[in-house]
Amino acid sequence: AVVAGGGWAAVCEKFRTARTLSAVESRKDPETEPYRSKYSARALLQEVKQLLSAAEEGGEARLVAVRRAVLEYELGVNHTDTEELSAGEEHLQRCTQLLEPHRLSPDCVSLYIQAQNNLGILWSERDEIKTAQTYLESAEALYNQYMKEDGNPPLDPSEHFMAEEEKLTDQERSKRFEKAYTHTLYYLAQVYQHLEMIEKAAQYCHTTLKRQLEYCGYYPVEWALNAATLSQYYLSKQCFMESRHCLAAASVIFSQAGQVPSAEDNESEQDQQDLRQRKAEIARCWIKYCLNLLQSARKLLEDNIGELDPDRQLELKAQRKKEEDEKEKGRKKAVLFGTSEICDSVLAMEEKVSSVYPLDFQEAREIFLVGQNYVQEAKEFFQVDGYVTDHIEIVQDHSALFKVLAFFEEDYERRCKMHKRRIDMLEPIYADLNPQYYLLISRQLQFELADTFYEMMDLKVAIGNRLEELDSHTIKKINSLAQLAIKYYELFLDSLRNPDKVFPEELEEDVLRPAMVAKFHIARLYGKLITSDSKKQLENMQTSLEYYTFLVDYCEKYPAAVRAVETELELSKEMVGLLPTRMERLRAKLCPFI
Amino acid sequence: YSFSVEGDAIKVYVRVRPPSEGTVLTDGDQGLCLSVLSSNTIRLHSKPEPKIFTFDYVANMETTQESVFSSVAKNIVESCMNGYNGTIFAYGQTGSGKTFTMMGPSDSDNFTHSLRGVIPRSFEYLFFLIEREKEKAGSGKSFLCKCSFIEIYNEQIFDLLDSASAGLFLREHIKKGVFVDGAVEQVLSSAAEAYQVLTMGWRNRRVASTSMNRESSRSHAVFTITVESMEKNNEIVNIRSSLLNLVDLAGSERQKDTHTEGLRLKEAGNINRSLSCLGQVITALVDVGNGKQRHICYRDSKLTFLLRDSLGGNAKTCIIANVHPGSRCFGETLSTLNFAQRAKLIKNKAVVNEDTQGDVS
Repeated sequence: AVVAGGGWAAVCEKFRTARTLSAVESRKDPETEPYRSKYSARALLQEVKQLLSAAEEGGEARLVAVRRAVLEYELGVNHTDTEELSAGEEHLQRCTQLLEPHRLSPDCVSLYIQAQNNLGILWSERDEIKTAQTYLESAEALYNQYMKEDGNPPLDPSEHFMAEEEKLTDQERSKRFEKAYTHTLYYLAQVYQHLEMIEKAAQYCHTTLKRQLEYCGYYPVEWALNAATLSQYYLSKQCFMESRHCLAAASVIFSQAGQVPSAEDNESEQDQQDLRQRKAEIARCWIKYCLNLLQSARKLLEDNIGELDPDRQLELKAQRKKEEDEKEKGRKKAVLFGTSEICDSVLAMEEKVSSVYPLDFQEAREIFLVGQNYVQEAKEFFQVDGYVTDHIEIVQDHSALFKVLAFFEEDYERRCKMHKRRIDMLEPIYADLNPQYYLLISRQLQFELADTFYEMMDLKVAIGNRLEELDSHTIKKINSLAQLAIKYYELFLDSLRNPDKVFPEELEEDVLRPAMVAKFHIARLYGKLITSDSKKQLENMQTSLEYYTFLVDYCEKYPAAVRAVETELELSKEMVGLLPTRMERLRAKLCPFI
Repeated sequence: YSFSVEGDAIKVYVRVRPPSEGTVLTDGDQGLCLSVLSSNTIRLHSKPEPKIFTFDYVANMETTQESVFSSVAKNIVESCMNGYNGTIFAYGQTGSGKTFTMMGPSDSDNFTHSLRGVIPRSFEYLFFLIEREKEKAGSGKSFLCKCSFIEIYNEQIFDLLDSASAGLFLREHIKKGVFVDGAVEQVLSSAAEAYQVLTMGWRNRRVASTSMNRESSRSHAVFTITVESMEKNNEIVNIRSSLLNLVDLAGSERQKDTHTEGLRLKEAGNINRSLSCLGQVITALVDVGNGKQRHICYRDSKLTFLLRDSLGGNAKTCIIANVHPGSRCFGETLSTLNFAQRAKLIKNKAVVNEDTQGDVS
């Protein structure tokens, strides 16, 4: 032994005290002396180092080197904790130098990886992310090499200062080693994120989550939320299989949370409330999943006027048969969460909703219904009284689900009914909303209501076109839908006025396009109004012309706006050319004797 | 030429405090880390290149309390009388002069102190305007002012006007916007009374409390005045209501390790050690998404929730960023200025609220 028997016990005792000071006591340090315990720990570590050097004579060289490395490691972490980075770096570097020749042996590998983890952290604090990356990637490589070549549970760094009888079990060793490696991966996830290697960062987050399930204690609720959040990343990349897997795992793991009795069984109202909220949050992630899947499918299937393209539909169905199964198998391996038991529950959860693009109404409807169920679940918590913004967002999603489902519906009457459902859910909310506090949402609702009425009117016109001649009922319907659309577009435009009710000279960037579209649609709507009274018709044409002209004039004055409304502008110019001639003709018909 | 409406963007006002008495600082390496170049630019002596920042207003060390009030708060208080919501934030590291700017010298409970800060002066001005309106309109117009004073500490909400209350909930109401459920609302009839309520609440703050962990021993305090006016005009009643929020944010230096309270002050890429912050890492991945429909589970902090309107809603908002000129504070000053620079990008649109009701007899 390096230090004589009784002496060695005292050394170990000092070492242990230092660690306790650092990890436990330091949390209770007073505001005025934030590092008190860390400094005391440092002093003790220095003492142990002294004792070791004094005893180095005649000690076994390798053993001495490893114990020294442990101390250098502890001192390094201690200095970085107290914001003395360069001293910390020196100690950590010394640690890795001492271990270099032995880094693949079971008594050093874990310490070496942890030293590299800490060097990674240290360099990130100096804003040298690239340097941090090299340390962490090298830690990752070392772990993989060790697992391939040896794989036995390695010693934990703290064991070098333990009596023989205190040594850890293999199970505990393995747990600590895996945890250190999980941290390596988690730090790498952050490094990649800072380097804007987003895909890689996501992959490392995913792996971190996976390892949390496998190795270390995790909090079900927190884990579930993280998995649900990650699902949303996959959504933005249109990886529906991965997204669904994350969500299914989130739902399964979350359900464990309710079953675990808490420390004191009388959970506070606050905790209950939190749990309910989290559940609703996960439901909202599911809603987005269904919505995105439907919307992406629509994009694939629509022709250039936004209708379902039957040829494309057949083509995609044939293609799906061929490849889906193959592709999915390969990717699936990479992302699966959990051990067998969890895995089975997750798979069962996944089966409730498809992750491939729906290609016809039947398939779309199934996804829609799942989404709609989650809408109800989310609304149970996010009620309008207390959660205005959240509640409305959910209702907007619900409306969006109907909108995309309508795309798959071939029957115009039924399609119209779906849009009516949207009106029924949005109108009452809009009526109650105070725009002083909810201006943005209020505008969104105005615009969506206007667009929905506009769409319904178009459908009614299409239905009318199939009839021999328009009956008065249909005409009434078309006109009233058009008037309602106009009403909501005008409300939206009014919301842009300043307190003195003046419309802005130049529109803000964020409302430029919606404002222009509103003007353009109003112009079209006046053109669609059906009247047998020619004078009225002339008036409508005049109004229509005014709105088209607004667009043309505005874009002439502010050329930067052109890009936002190219199509609309082109049509407006055309109409500004055509309408006066048409109006002339109509006038001539009215007073043939001029 | 761009046509912009006064009060569209968040106004940012930077104030440089003088060094504490007895220390003489000279320009250059050892002493000062910044110089005020003009009334809206400031130069930070960073290496290798100095950095120039531009703000709506930069106040140098000689600036008086009166002048801070006039340039920052006067306009917001006036807007408040006209039915807008308004918010004034104070931001900066501990010791940069936040409390001095907002409240005045710490040793005075004296409302008439010549060095009193933005808040007491706002009270005076608000009630002065109310009195003036009343005189003008005679009996046709009446006002009701109420205030609440809450503290956000460790993501919990405490009522500073009711020290017995435990954590309160934030809720939203479809007509009234965001409110703290169960917070005491005290009716105010004068500026002196408002100041009294404020100082009483201020003493209840948990600043530097030792009972909880150190990292969070800082709190945000939000003092809110609701101004309601009722005007009768031949059988038509106009009711206006607006909020004035005065916010003292926690010292910015405390935000090193935590996900910044609300304002997302994400400085360069420090690695977070705690696995329990994995959620933040993932959230950031989702954040850079491409505008796709998605839901992020982690709700904003309580502060951003409470001030939803003030940050990109319908309010006139101003941030006073306080900085200390000493070289030792270089890092904090840089991050404060960076934060203030980013805040300027937040757009606000103010809308007047008028509920016109018919005869309510």
